[in-house]
Amino acid sequence: MEYPEELKYTKEHEWVRVDGDRAVMGITDYAQDALGDIVYVDLPEVGTEVTAEQSFCEVESTKSVSEIYAPVSGEVAEVNETLQDAPQKINDAPYGDGWLCTIRMTDAAEVDRLLDASAYQQLL
Amino acid sequence: MDERWRLFVDLDEPPSAAEQMDRDECLLEEVLDGAPPALRIYRWRAPALTLGRFQPDDHVDHDACDALGVEVARRPTGGRALLHGADLTYAVALTRPSDVRDSVEALYAHLARALIDGLARLGVRAEVASHDGDPGPVCFASALGSDLRVGSRKVCGSAQVHRGPAVLQHGSVLLDRLDIDEADLMLFEDEMARTTARGRLNDATVTLSELGAPTDAERVAAALIDAFGDVLGADFGPVGARLRPRRERLTST
Repeated sequence: MEYPEELKYTKEHEWVRVDGDRAVMGITDYAQDALGDIVYVDLPEVGTEVTAEQSFCEVESTKSVSEIYAPVSGEVAEVNETLQDAPQKINDAPYGDGWLCTIRMTDAAEVDRLLDASAYQQLL
Repeated sequence: MDERWRLFVDLDEPPSAAEQMDRDECLLEEVLDGAPPALRIYRWRAPALTLGRFQPDDHVDHDACDALGVEVARRPTGGRALLHGADLTYAVALTRPSDVRDSVEALYAHLARALIDGLARLGVRAEVASHDGDPGPVCFASALGSDLRVGSRKVCGSAQVHRGPAVLQHGSVLLDRLDIDEADLMLFEDEMARTTARGRLNDATVTLSELGAPTDAERVAAALIDAFGDVLGADFGPVGARLRPRRERLTST
């Protein structure tokens, strides 16, 4: 499995790529493998306020619904609408086309508290 | 080592379908708040169609449901439409065991050991089903690794929801068949599609009655309870108290 060095990770198996005041996020390769074939994503609406470590959307896989947690606090700026028709992108490319959303961060310092690739892999 | 579990056996005077789902979700929330694991086994007061958490409501023929006296409720768990009424339903709420690999499939396999053992106590040799393609809108019309089959036919379907470290899995053991099935209650493009779905459903499922196994709900419940105790180490407390319906109101209002 892959855990790109340039990303930050949460203990709940989300990843973050910081771009200015925005954080692109998704779920890790480990998470998509553990969930199995993803068949539906209940994406948040753009503008939704999210709080770090709080659940803010859900995915359904193999007759199982699982929560996804916000890695950082802020406002949902963009969601990956293509997942509505092709949720399997999360399985196929969790760090690429399977990204979930972009969060406009309210506290960029929260990123410093996330795990680097090495620390995340030690959790697994 | 045995672990203290809570047991709820609701075979008499079942509540509405929506209340059944509330009770199951309540068990999940309680486990998330630190309560011991729970097993609930129950029947239904009337035929009820439950839909998966995100299943589109427009799959359902609500007029047909009303005309046939079928309640409709949404499950907190995933999966597809399932008609209850001739089944025995179980709900398990627990924190993911530390010795179970961190995947949906592994947790299904963990709990399947108890379900398979329970069915074996009734003379039914079930095993975990393998994935057999697109599930379509009806739960029992296809099999996944979450389900148990006898031969090639599904006898128990299950679904999960995960919230943090807590998981709710509920499922349905087919005791017998009703006069109606899911094909009567869902919308199809035309009657041929409905007939095809009904045929697929009948071919894909088998009931305890058809297998010549006991169908008495208390006996099936007792087999499952004993299996959870022996296989998963669930300690439900004194034996004599097991099948007494619990009137304890869960916290959901």
